[in-house]
Amino acid sequence: MAPSTKKHGAGNACIIPGGFAVLSLKFSAESDTQHKLYVKEHRVRVEAKTHRPLDKTLFVLNVPPYCSQAVVSQIFSRFGAVVSVELSDRPGTASVPEIKLSNIFKPAEKQGFKVAYIVFRKAKSIQLAKSHPHNFPLVISTEKQPVTTGLQKWAEQYRKSIILPEKLQETVDAFMTDYDLRKEEKEKKQEEEAEEQKEDEEGWVKVTRGNKGTKARPHSEAANQKSLQKEIRKKKRKELLNFYTWQHRNTQKEHIADLRKKFEEDKQRISLLRAQRKFRPY
Amino acid sequence: RKRHSQGKDKTQNKLKSKEDGNGVPANAKRSKPEDQGEQDAVLRPVKLSRTELYKPPTVEELNQLKEAESLFHCSLLKMQMEELLKEVALSERRKKQIDSFVKTVTEALQSVPSFPKVELGDLSWLAGSVKVPFIMMPAENAGKFQMAPPASVDLIGSYPLGTCIKPRITVDLAVTIPAEVLQTKDDMNQRYPRKRALYLAGLAQHLSSSAEIGSMRYSCLHGNRLRPLLLLTPSGKESSNFTVRLHACLPPGYFKPSRFHPQRNNIRTKWYTGLDSSDPEPPTPHYNSSVLGDMLPRAHLQFLSAVSSQCPAFAEGVALIKVWLRQRELDQGAGCFNGFLASMTLAYLLSKHRVNNNMTAYQLLRNTLHFLATTDLTETAITLARKPDSTAPSLPEFQDAFQVVFVDPSGHLNLCAEMTECTYKQVQHEASLSMQFWDDATVNGFHALLMTPKPLERTSDHIFQLLELVKLQASCKKLKLLSELMDHSGNYVRTMLPYILSLLQQGLGQRILLLTHSLSPDPEWTVEAEPPKHKAQPPLSFGLILRPDYAASVLERGPPADSPKAAEFRKLWGPRSELRRFQDGAITEAVLWTGESACEKRLVPRQIVNHLLQLHADIPESCVRYVGAMMDDVPSTGEEESLKVVQSYDDLSRKLWRLEGLPLSVTAVQGAHPALRYTQVFPPKPLKLDYSFFGKEKSSRSLLPKEGKPCPVYIEPITVVCHMEGSGKWPHDRVAIRHLKAAFHLSLGELLTKEHSYTCRPCPTHLDVWKEGYAFRVHVAYHREPQVLRESVGPDGLLVVRDNEAAQALELATVHRPLLTSTLHGLQQQHPCFGAVCRLAKRWLGAQLLSDDIREDAADLLVASLFLHPAPFTAPSSPQVGFLRFLRLLSSFDWRNNPLVVNLNSKLTAADYTDIKNDFVAGRDSLPVMFIATPSDKKLSLWTKREPSVQMMQRAVMLAAESLKVLEPQLKDGTQIQDVKVAMRPPLDAYDVLIHLLPKQVPLLKQAVDPPLVVFSRGTEAGKAGTPGGAMPVIDYNPVALYLSELRDSFGDLALFFCDPYGGTVIAVLWKPKAFKPVPFKTSEIKARRVEVKGEQAHSVPNVEAIVEDFSVMGKDLVRSVEARTERWSV
Repeated sequence: MAPSTKKHGAGNACIIPGGFAVLSLKFSAESDTQHKLYVKEHRVRVEAKTHRPLDKTLFVLNVPPYCSQAVVSQIFSRFGAVVSVELSDRPGTASVPEIKLSNIFKPAEKQGFKVAYIVFRKAKSIQLAKSHPHNFPLVISTEKQPVTTGLQKWAEQYRKSIILPEKLQETVDAFMTDYDLRKEEKEKKQEEEAEEQKEDEEGWVKVTRGNKGTKARPHSEAANQKSLQKEIRKKKRKELLNFYTWQHRNTQKEHIADLRKKFEEDKQRISLLRAQRKFRPY
Repeated sequence: RKRHSQGKDKTQNKLKSKEDGNGVPANAKRSKPEDQGEQDAVLRPVKLSRTELYKPPTVEELNQLKEAESLFHCSLLKMQMEELLKEVALSERRKKQIDSFVKTVTEALQSVPSFPKVELGDLSWLAGSVKVPFIMMPAENAGKFQMAPPASVDLIGSYPLGTCIKPRITVDLAVTIPAEVLQTKDDMNQRYPRKRALYLAGLAQHLSSSAEIGSMRYSCLHGNRLRPLLLLTPSGKESSNFTVRLHACLPPGYFKPSRFHPQRNNIRTKWYTGLDSSDPEPPTPHYNSSVLGDMLPRAHLQFLSAVSSQCPAFAEGVALIKVWLRQRELDQGAGCFNGFLASMTLAYLLSKHRVNNNMTAYQLLRNTLHFLATTDLTETAITLARKPDSTAPSLPEFQDAFQVVFVDPSGHLNLCAEMTECTYKQVQHEASLSMQFWDDATVNGFHALLMTPKPLERTSDHIFQLLELVKLQASCKKLKLLSELMDHSGNYVRTMLPYILSLLQQGLGQRILLLTHSLSPDPEWTVEAEPPKHKAQPPLSFGLILRPDYAASVLERGPPADSPKAAEFRKLWGPRSELRRFQDGAITEAVLWTGESACEKRLVPRQIVNHLLQLHADIPESCVRYVGAMMDDVPSTGEEESLKVVQSYDDLSRKLWRLEGLPLSVTAVQGAHPALRYTQVFPPKPLKLDYSFFGKEKSSRSLLPKEGKPCPVYIEPITVVCHMEGSGKWPHDRVAIRHLKAAFHLSLGELLTKEHSYTCRPCPTHLDVWKEGYAFRVHVAYHREPQVLRESVGPDGLLVVRDNEAAQALELATVHRPLLTSTLHGLQQQHPCFGAVCRLAKRWLGAQLLSDDIREDAADLLVASLFLHPAPFTAPSSPQVGFLRFLRLLSSFDWRNNPLVVNLNSKLTAADYTDIKNDFVAGRDSLPVMFIATPSDKKLSLWTKREPSVQMMQRAVMLAAESLKVLEPQLKDGTQIQDVKVAMRPPLDAYDVLIHLLPKQVPLLKQAVDPPLVVFSRGTEAGKAGTPGGAMPVIDYNPVALYLSELRDSFGDLALFFCDPYGGTVIAVLWKPKAFKPVPFKTSEIKARRVEVKGEQAHSVPNVEAIVEDFSVMGKDLVRSVEARTERWSV
């Protein structure tokens, strides 16, 4: 099932348009079928300074769901030492959470095919991986390092889902103290700023541009809307209806228009039902 | 390329050739290309230009709009009725056909040859193979007969009156027997009826040579064997269009009508039985009216024509009443309320000035129904005769002889002679029901009134059939009904029926709202055949509409032992009646029926029916086919289990309330699980566990599934939401709230363990409580959390509130679901079988692999709508009828153009309904396929937002229709294979890949539709659930569900996965129609695909072989085999 051009002989790497190299992947030595991984060096300038260094990161597409970080790291370590493996649902910049959450509180990850960013220690490994012949498949689960799937995996998952209350308590406490600290800090900052804006002994106020985000409470969109509506209602209350003749005439007109509209709607409904033969009582 | 296009085509073909459970190919409508007609079939908001809306109205238009507004709820109903009348009216072309055929027949009849006079018993003149349509019992005949051309041939009945409607067009033709054929004493001893039959046979013989006549059959008028008819249809392709019925009639005024007084005897006992009787001869009212009825059709036609000429809308009004009757199956068969009676009723109302001549058809229908609903003809008789002559019987005399009395214009004939009291009561019940929902603006009156058929098995809660009708002959003897039998000329079924009905009515008493019976259809037989015997008619069906409050009571308390009524009570119940002493000190007669569970109790009416029929009519139980509960026990009875769960939950809720030492107090504890509203298909049972079966986690004292053993028993956590008091202490930050909730889970668990020694396991998202063999999952909720989730601070410091999925999901779980649960719990208290219907419906959805598309909450709401909006039925009082109506709702509701409004607690007003409808029409394209609106959810349809998809909805509709087609005949007809589970076995040949699972690892195996013979030990012990404490069991561990979610996560873009959640051992996979289409290579769309390069372009296609292998890799130890039906998609 060689997907690609015939000019690559056996034992050659296979490069498809877009610059991706094709790697084959088998679940175990006995497997008959292969998944295809598409790998390429990761080259996004913006991310150069993050955890995805420019020349050492391999971008891998189509990683099967049973390959965890450890498994991917294991498979690719044949091309050189792996520093880190990052799995994500779709390619793109990694979102770094503001606060570091403990594992317990991280939302469950979606299973499925993923993309991986593998950071090697040496840039050479990238080329090695890319030139790996596509018809020598990599094997996921070997006898030495079996990958558990199915029942075994779920049982393991269940076992891991049991959290000791003490540990949970510890995590919660740690987070809450940290949270309180942060909150306190924030409040202090706000207080300081408020302080700055107060009159001093001589009655002077220091006027600064100030940071918009530091107001005591952010004014909300909903509140804005509310005040607007209040205004409109107020206006309406003052209005007199059916005072002038033209107003009266208008209401009548509206009424007839209403009936007309309803009539048209009904007519449409009927014609639709007629088209569906909905009037035949048998 | 070829491969892929082929694959795609096959997928589409396969979708089209889905088959139903019976193997009957059903034309599936999935993935049919939308043609122009389909495009039009959607309601769109009406857009009128300003000029059109505000142009000056004409007087005519104003009047039209006003009329529609004042007379009808809206112009819609008016237009609907007009359309309906157009649909049922006969076309001009059809009328021409009829006229020309009638002309042909009339001409043919005029040329009937004369035969010489012979003895009545001599049939030698009848040379051909034509038989006489009459059962000659007793065989003795006196008198002479002679075949002669008819005196006249006239059109009678609905056709000349213009009230004849489609379908089943019948044209009545009266053939007057010439006077010379008759003798003065012919009214005696069935002589005239026999002559009439002979005459008809003579006509049949003559007509059999005519080429224009397609087929000839005999029948009889309203099942009365004394009044045979000859049915003629035209030859050629028009043959099925209409039927001409030949009535042989007496010359008008041939007999004096006074001879047919209901108290006179016209059949002598000596002639009938051959025995001398010393008693005075018994009256023969039914026989009398059957002869008398033959003299009057022309007079009746004249009368009705006169009435109709005065009232322009008469014909249309009658047509509407006929449609109404027809939908209720009241217009056909023996003792029916036919169209003729409808005309007469309307004529009566006109004559009494209850309606006036200028009313529209709509008003006529309404007033007629009102009249029927409020007038009990079994109590008060009515007559059309203005000035009856002195010989005419008085109304009390009629009432003595007949159950229902409505006297014709001549004053001699009771038009309702054959009608049983029950039939009239049914008419009355239907009329009052119709009036009820007609005025209800929230009901689609037109549809419920005129468009919905109400067959017996879908209307009645319980139905039963009398199978061997020949047994009734013996019953007649036992009840000494000889003279009645003579009156009915040997038709023992008709003779017994009123007695059986009154017996049952007496015995069932308060338990039922209404007792109905099927009207045996008019028999039809070919002219060459002997008339069928009385027993040859289909079984008699009876229907019971139950009163839920009384129907299931096991005790029948009678009068005190010393009261005079006690003897009567003892006589009715026979040996079952016993003296019993009650708690209030009274000693009374009583009957105690057996019944432990709710399911058995529901069948108390069956015990009563069997007992009474056996005791009084000698009808053995084997002859009574009671189909009230054929489907009740398909998913186990479960009511008692549900009750226990609810009790245990109530206890937990109380304990949560009373906990002390929490930083914030508990403000509410709400159940949010189907088991807490009695609708869980298999309610959890308290379990006692065998610890040795499990692995153990020492530090947390938890049990674990053990390798190598069968999958442990599935313990479903029962969700409970625990609302905590709002307070300033709650942080205004989503992550912090999550942590605080976890802290609450911890402290709740700690307190519960400390005070009540329950085993608890706190998690960040919930707290599991192991209590009395049930697992409860407590979620702590903070009412402002959804708000916090919605808020975000924009870059300019403006607080923006934006709805998002996380907030919606949270609100659904902590607000809407608990609310729904408590509301439906309330509904169950009002309607005891609500839960049972839900369970049956959900079992069916599960079995048909639809439970991931129509979810539990949505299914419960669908069922709730059956109870809250039963029109035109009454709220179901048995699971079976509820289930049938559920299927009917699913299959026949116009989901595309209508929202299903479920008015829980009657919180919605008519104005709300209009709003909901308008919003729905305006936003149809963006709204869910199945739209269910409730008082707390008018615009979004929360429960059906994600699923079902259009395709799955179509499939559900189709499966429901097919299941109905399989089930209803089974209920109606005892001779079919009786296996209601047929509707629960899904056809699997429509799927592309079948993943067979190891039964050993399917924890819910026992719940399968056909439970397997092998039973696996799953770590439970018999006996009562243990005391509080102990290790935490394995909760919510279902490998099948885990596997399914993994499959859907991984391959959801390419395929659909179906599985019966209740013990299904097969996962059916269907490739999506578009799945095999190559798409250009993109880094974001390369999941489970491989790339094919062609020239400079790279396309990706699914890596099917690898995916199929992944199925078994991912389900290791659970999957037995993967059956890829490659012939369907050719790899």
